[in-house]
Amino acid sequence: MTHDTHGGHGDDHGHGHIKLAYQPGLPLANGKLCLWLFLSTEIMFFAGLIGAYVVLRFGVPAGTWPHPHDVHLVEPIGAFNTFVLICSSVTIVLGLEAAKLNQSSMARLWLFATFVLGSVFLGVKMYEYNSKFSHGIYPSTPRSLIYDKADLNYASAVRQRLNDLATELAKKASAEAGEGQAAVPSEDQKRCEDLRDYLVFWAEQTAARSEDPARRQAALNSLAWFIYPREGHKPEKFLAAETKRMEREKTAITAELTAISSEQKSLDAKKAELEKRDAAEAGEELGATVKARARADEKALAANERLRRVEGWLGLVPELDKLEHGINDAYHSLRLPIHIPSGNMWASTYFLLTGFHAIHVAVGLLMFVLMLRYRLDASNAHLLENGGLYWHFVDLVWIFLFPLLYLF
Amino acid sequence: MSSSDGHGDHSHGGVGKYMMVFLALCGLTTLSFFTYSRFWPFQDTPVVGWVFMMAVSCTKAMLVICFFMHLIWEANWKYVLTIPASLMSVFLVVALVPDVGQRTRYYAEERSRYASDYEGPEEEAAAEAGGEAVSAPGQDAAPTGSEGVPVDGKGTGGAGAAGGAAKADST
Repeated sequence: MTHDTHGGHGDDHGHGHIKLAYQPGLPLANGKLCLWLFLSTEIMFFAGLIGAYVVLRFGVPAGTWPHPHDVHLVEPIGAFNTFVLICSSVTIVLGLEAAKLNQSSMARLWLFATFVLGSVFLGVKMYEYNSKFSHGIYPSTPRSLIYDKADLNYASAVRQRLNDLATELAKKASAEAGEGQAAVPSEDQKRCEDLRDYLVFWAEQTAARSEDPARRQAALNSLAWFIYPREGHKPEKFLAAETKRMEREKTAITAELTAISSEQKSLDAKKAELEKRDAAEAGEELGATVKARARADEKALAANERLRRVEGWLGLVPELDKLEHGINDAYHSLRLPIHIPSGNMWASTYFLLTGFHAIHVAVGLLMFVLMLRYRLDASNAHLLENGGLYWHFVDLVWIFLFPLLYLF
Repeated sequence: MSSSDGHGDHSHGGVGKYMMVFLALCGLTTLSFFTYSRFWPFQDTPVVGWVFMMAVSCTKAMLVICFFMHLIWEANWKYVLTIPASLMSVFLVVALVPDVGQRTRYYAEERSRYASDYEGPEEEAAAEAGGEAVSAPGQDAAPTGSEGVPVDGKGTGGAGAAGGAAKADST
């Protein structure tokens, strides 16, 4: 600049020629610069996802975020995966060192080790996803069995499912039995019907008819607990009280039935006596007696039905109590709706975060496969350097995801 | 390659250093896992554990960035790329707090009834009493119908139970 003002024209006399040398904007190779620019956008991408998770997680109604065990998260598995990724970060960096020293076969070996470790990570991830899927934990509705609240809507969904299953099994049984023969209900069908007629019926009736609001909610909670128990939510006291209540109920109904049957007997006796008399004389009274007898029959029928429900409940609940991990776990084909508070929000965020991370891992693995084709000597060390930077970033994201998802 | 890079490529790194970092990372992972064990002293205040784990994670992240990603040995361009991105991500999260993070604080009563496991006074009582309050026997006797009462999807939650009770006529 000063030259120009001084000399007036460009071609001054032999001194101060401006020598233009190529100077990169930043002191690093283009490939690496691009990768770093990409990584800085990736930082924001994952920060957005993780940030959304954090605000959603801490914004749920107090105390409703699922405990890791409620959603089949196993901390040691997560810790193992963390360890695998850390190891893979070390192997890729050792690969880079080897490449810089021109030990291309060594570099290839380290790269292969990284590839294997990355695959192990993805394999473990698949295993983890599968353990969620098998319990009906999916991020969205057609497959997800998660209900956020144990309410009447939930109970009716359980009833609907059991009803459908029972109908389906009954159809199958009658098809197997052939024409003209009575179908033998299968064990599964009986189980569905028992659950529907005793457990769900009781929960719905109690929730709909009880005067006591605490009891209404507790009945629904117990239904949810039998299907999918969550740590520390066992309604022990309530079930004990309810069992006593049912036993009292049973005694009451039995007494009622005895009363009805003695009433029936006396009505029968009266009827027989009246029939001996003159029809014109006793006609009116006879008619009344027959009506009373029919009423008594109806009452007996109703009482018997109630007794069936009560006895069914009393037989079923201790059986269910013995199941360690609930109905859904004991009978996988049932796939009854499950109650996990904030479970749907949990599933959405969990699968989104781990899914995007897993995609990054998969892309990294693809990159490694492509890189294995090259001779990884000093002249190609930049490949390992750039690939390694990406891979370290993937590791970095997991470093935050592991505690946030498994330990919080 | 990095011809103008002042530092020689072999002046940093080294297997020994990487191994040290690796051991540190493993140790730190064990530390954050330790918060989950029963020996962790702050069981009653989970916030302590969260802050601790985040501190551990940040330390691990710094180790990976500085050593594995060689950022500690890079020239000053590293600040240009990393600091703005990090700041933007912090802003992004902070911007979500009022609308999303604090959403349940501004729920109307009506809205909270449909929120996940909202514990109104009724449900709280249920949780505490465990349904101990048992009313007189026979009062809630199961009716004779062979199917459950018709339940519509509208009556959800605490309102659902209450609505159901209102609908059901005493037998």
